[in-house]
Amino acid sequence: MMLTLLDELLLFSGATLLVALFIGRGLAAGWMVTILYGGQLLALLKMAVLGYGGGTIASSLSFEIMGQELSWRFDGLSWFFALITIGSALLSSWFSCGAWERSYIRQGGNIWLFHTAMALNVFTMLILLASGDLLSLFIGWELVSWAGFLLMVLAGGVATSAAMRYITYAMAGGMAIFGGLALIYTASGSLQLEAVTTAVEQMSGAKLWLLVILFGGGFGVKMGLMPFHLWQAPAYAETPGPGSAFLGAISSRMGLFAILLVLVKLFGIVNIESLKLPFTPIDARDLLAWIAVFTIILPTFTAMKQNDARHLLAWHGIGQGGYMLLGVVVADAMGGAGGLLHVFNHATYQAALFMAVTAVIYRTGTSDLNKLGGLVVRMPLSFVVLLIGIIGLAGLPPMNGFVSKWLVYRSLLNQGMPLLFLAAVIGTLGTILSVYKLIHNIFLGQLRVEHEHVSEAPWSMMIPMLILSAIIFVTGLLPGIPLEWVASALQTVGLPVPDHTLGGIESASGSLDMIWVIGVLFAGFGVGALVFYSAGRSKRVHQLDNYAGGHFLSADVRYQYSDNFYAGLMHLIGGWYRGSFLWLERSIRSLVEFLSLGMQGLYRRANAEFYLLTTALFVIAWVVI
Amino acid sequence: MSATELLIELTLMPLVAFVVGMMMVLMMRRIAAKLQRRVGPPFFQPLYDIVKLHSKRTQVSHGLIHDIGIVMAMGGYIAAETLLPVPGMNGIAEKGGIITLLYLMMIPSLGLALGVGQCANPNGSIGIARALTAMLAYDIPLVIVVFGVAYAAGTTNLIDIIATQQAGGFETWGVTQMPLLAIAGLIAMHASLGKQPFEIYIAPAEIATGPMVEMGGKYLGGLFVMQCFQLYTTAVLYVSLFLGGGTTWFDFLLKSFLVLAIPMSIAYLFPRYRTEDLLRLMWKWPVMLGLIGIAFVI
Amino acid sequence: MSTNLVLTIALPLLGAFLLPVLMRSSVAIALWSGPAILVYGCWTVAELWLSGFAQPLSIAIGGFAPPLGINLYVDSLALLFAFAVQLLGLVFWPFTLDQESARRQSLMLLLVAASTGLALSGDLFNLYVFYELAAVATFGLASASGSGAAYVATLRYLILSGIGSVLTLFGIALIYSQTGTLNLAHLAQLAPAQLNNSLGLTAFLAILIGIGVKAELFPVNTWVPEIYATASTRLSAFLAGLLSKLALLIILRLLLLIFHQPEAAQVILILGILGVISGELAAWRAKEMKRMLAFSSIGQLGMIFIAMALPDGKGMLAVLALALHHLIIKSGLFMLAEDWGGALERLRGSAKASPLGAVLFVLFSLSLVGMPPLPGFWAKFVLITELAAQVEPLYLLGLTVFLLATVVEASYLFRIAATLYSNPAPDTLSEEIPKSKGLSLATASLFGAGMIAVALLIAPVGDGLQAIAAQAQDVDLYITTVSPAVSGGSQ
Repeated sequence: MMLTLLDELLLFSGATLLVALFIGRGLAAGWMVTILYGGQLLALLKMAVLGYGGGTIASSLSFEIMGQELSWRFDGLSWFFALITIGSALLSSWFSCGAWERSYIRQGGNIWLFHTAMALNVFTMLILLASGDLLSLFIGWELVSWAGFLLMVLAGGVATSAAMRYITYAMAGGMAIFGGLALIYTASGSLQLEAVTTAVEQMSGAKLWLLVILFGGGFGVKMGLMPFHLWQAPAYAETPGPGSAFLGAISSRMGLFAILLVLVKLFGIVNIESLKLPFTPIDARDLLAWIAVFTIILPTFTAMKQNDARHLLAWHGIGQGGYMLLGVVVADAMGGAGGLLHVFNHATYQAALFMAVTAVIYRTGTSDLNKLGGLVVRMPLSFVVLLIGIIGLAGLPPMNGFVSKWLVYRSLLNQGMPLLFLAAVIGTLGTILSVYKLIHNIFLGQLRVEHEHVSEAPWSMMIPMLILSAIIFVTGLLPGIPLEWVASALQTVGLPVPDHTLGGIESASGSLDMIWVIGVLFAGFGVGALVFYSAGRSKRVHQLDNYAGGHFLSADVRYQYSDNFYAGLMHLIGGWYRGSFLWLERSIRSLVEFLSLGMQGLYRRANAEFYLLTTALFVIAWVVI
Repeated sequence: MSATELLIELTLMPLVAFVVGMMMVLMMRRIAAKLQRRVGPPFFQPLYDIVKLHSKRTQVSHGLIHDIGIVMAMGGYIAAETLLPVPGMNGIAEKGGIITLLYLMMIPSLGLALGVGQCANPNGSIGIARALTAMLAYDIPLVIVVFGVAYAAGTTNLIDIIATQQAGGFETWGVTQMPLLAIAGLIAMHASLGKQPFEIYIAPAEIATGPMVEMGGKYLGGLFVMQCFQLYTTAVLYVSLFLGGGTTWFDFLLKSFLVLAIPMSIAYLFPRYRTEDLLRLMWKWPVMLGLIGIAFVI
Repeated sequence: MSTNLVLTIALPLLGAFLLPVLMRSSVAIALWSGPAILVYGCWTVAELWLSGFAQPLSIAIGGFAPPLGINLYVDSLALLFAFAVQLLGLVFWPFTLDQESARRQSLMLLLVAASTGLALSGDLFNLYVFYELAAVATFGLASASGSGAAYVATLRYLILSGIGSVLTLFGIALIYSQTGTLNLAHLAQLAPAQLNNSLGLTAFLAILIGIGVKAELFPVNTWVPEIYATASTRLSAFLAGLLSKLALLIILRLLLLIFHQPEAAQVILILGILGVISGELAAWRAKEMKRMLAFSSIGQLGMIFIAMALPDGKGMLAVLALALHHLIIKSGLFMLAEDWGGALERLRGSAKASPLGAVLFVLFSLSLVGMPPLPGFWAKFVLITELAAQVEPLYLLGLTVFLLATVVEASYLFRIAATLYSNPAPDTLSEEIPKSKGLSLATASLFGAGMIAVALLIAPVGDGLQAIAAQAQDVDLYITTVSPAVSGGSQ
């Protein structure tokens, strides 16, 4: 039997898992696993033809179980997501090797389980991405869900309860998909993609609505779409550092992949748009778009109120997912490209951000934004990485996040959707506020006395961070590189492809060329620097040499402005944080609790024979009548 | 267009902006003086100020980021000028478009924020928190306005937006076509300048409690330069969006100065809004006007 | 050779009565005779299966041909369950050596004999007899642990079971009065003409509720949590794993062969849905593992009832798959629970003390909630595709309840898993943490291995089950096998 390229990749990934599983206890294991991720990346790059134009590569693995055919294959979309998956796994794993690993073990962490869980996540994600029919998609989906659970539960304590919450949500989502699968199977008699596409064409509106809700909701749980978003931030944030970088980068994007495959490719945006919501001018596509923007806004403004760097980032991760869905749902050339490009961009900066925060935790032992400050002089490179990351996250030039958001904005503009556009921009502005708080509270402001001798993060952590930063900048400068892959992915799901150049987008209604934009920006900085440095020399004062309100301040007086950072804003909008979703979640929980109590009461009653006789009488009466 | 011509344009555009910007600062001061029945500064006062600030002896730096913040504050605007077409010069406007321009205009604020942040002065940080909040306040009506204009013109390319307005004279100007958006834009523009009554975050009257608290000498000089650019960029952007840009330098400059004169004249008549009141104001009237304006456009 | 099959019932029965006597003369022989009988039983069934068993057989007892004589009906389904009974009898054998255990061992043999009879019997009256026999054996076994709570629970079970028996007998009497026969094949022939009326329905419902006591049918299953929580774990495992399935098998046979009324299916569906809801919800708040498993078992049986309610035997495959899956998983889980009794909080840190047990628990739980590619997923998949194909809203309600219940199930099972893996409370000594060990862990591992084997061989297993289901569904085949003279049969 000839092994196809996909077989090689999956075998490589499986081998990584086995290596992690069996020799993951040694200290060199981390490096070995990292090298194997590198091997996976090479195996993926051998399939690069998928990223440049398309085609599919099938796996020779296939089964027939109880009349269901299961097959696996890769196309442009799978390749694009796999690239991000393996790339972020490689860098996260690299980051975890050496210094971080040692400190993790010192703190009682189980490094073997960590590497195994990471490898398992990558492996299951590749399986999911390779799914060739709906049944293999579901299998991959559940595998990914449980693998994610394993990684989230690692840290114990708070992480366990976050992971438990996750698995309940994930299970609910999984079961919605399972139900949808059964309905589709009834309609089409098969779970092969072609059969499903044909069946969808003949499906009644109500049934398609149901399927859109079931699949959209099910996949949306993983993406953290409103109102299923509550689990995500704590679950990702409490995962051990490199793990949260990996999860934050790619894990919830599996939901987007599935949405692209099922809702966009199989159902078709046109069909979804034809589903009207009764008594309103809204259709299913609008509904998805509005869910997307609420997912942008609310989690972003929740992030702003976080006092833990990891939680802040994780909340932003949810919000950024909204941009991706928004772009995909708008589904014109620019929107689709923006949504998909944002997946790539988000993975790069989110991983970099989590790593930078982990580096800070590694040196200072905390990620509490009220217990840090002034580290810029102590950890300048980490500062640069975090800065590049937040510029990407906020979507400002010259980093890559700008390009994808620009594409999403443009698509909303072209389609004439002012409210969605406005909402998307509000999200961005909120992000700017929030990430400034992040960088200010960690790196700027007053240095705490206990951090006076903190040094820069070790190189084993620094190099992956710098690589990521370089990617963030280069793909911001030359967005044509990832856009090529995005184009290939768009083609496979049947969305239009925008005209792109190496530097950006060509369009009759306004183009973007990042090479020029960044060129003038840096020229501007150059001129600014010229003006600034040509003036007289300035005197550098020590970081702790400061005064406020006319008084000199000594280092032991804490005057860092960090808590309730946007007090003015909160004066106005503070009352709008109602915690309605938390309330909803708690209500459902209480309801289940209450019902459970009732049911237990039912079984605790001693007069069981009473039930029996009543039932017998009842059914007999029913028969007679 | 040859590379040399482009290079000349790219050099000239920020330079013109700087010179015009200085004159705008002068105008602002003169208007203030008139309203307060003072004489007002001489013509070259802005230039004197810049030179003076840059040649101060005592310059206190709190670190590299403090410096870089100022560089970013100036550099962001210098870059933004090349995206803003002026009569006879388009620069690289077609390679960026209006959304990019708006984002480039945020970079100076971010640079300032970083620079102030490193000063480790709580008053500075409070000022930045207020400044960013104010940005959240006025950018929302601003993007509504930009959306309306770009949607009506069917493009984000500023050159095209200006060309469509110039096609039919005053009739096709943005301000006649979309008066509501024009009003909303004016209010948002006023707030974005950080002048009274929206100057809580600069707080010039009590410098010890604003972002400028640690800025002296060339740092303040850099910010002065930034202000010149800021006035110019804001005014020209408004002119390009609503007043048909400029066919000649004369009407271009006339419109720009006039547009700027409006908020300036109003500014000194008002006391100051608190941050939350600023938000409330910005999110109420201009947003409402803007949305109604967009409804007309669509 | 096929007559040897009769020995699988007769030998344990004989053994059950002789064991106490043997015990007096030779302990060694007594100790080994029980397992030997069961090994022989396993071997007999396996041999029949392996020697190319394809067509069902009918074995007339005592030389009288049915419908006059009584007969055993042996098809692949019956064989599968007969094998399972003998094997599980062996697996859950009470290996101890004292006077007390002799009693328990003979009761166990009695239970095995009765259960095998339930799997193989071809007429209603014999089914009833074996059913009663099984009940008697379980009363003895359940109260054998000797605690007060066990007695109370057993008493409750006894009363419920007794009334259930009366109801069953009432149903059987109704059928007899209407048709004059109790042979299943004969009844299958007569049913369309004589039992397709409200009398027939009443008879069925009476039997359903009567036998439902053992099949953990809602609402006659209130004995379940108490018995499982107080009786010995091995017995609970046997009861939850196997006996409930045999009761199900009887109901299934009746439904397939005799009662085709849609109302019958409807009642089963409603009771099944209620069973799922009540069981899974009650399990959610359960504070100790055995009780949780008992409630979960009620829920799982409810799911099987939902599958059984599918019209025209469509649910046959799903019933079979779910039942066998539950048999393996629940038995395994109960074996783990043997060392993990008491309040759930006590289990903190148990995963460190017994890593294998914890891993098995997680695997069983994953399969129970249906994570692919474990067998539970396929069983659930078969069920939901069939349910979704129904147009009647009640079935779709069943589907919805089924899916929601799975979420609840995952939530409570993984709460235990999380407890197992969490750090022990700071003031507990390491000796206090319950460990999973010895025989029970070995038995659980056996079930775990079985589950993994099924997961790996899912394709052939699936095909095999499909064949068994198809054979069991074939009413004509049943009739012609039992009484070859009659051709055509009833449709």
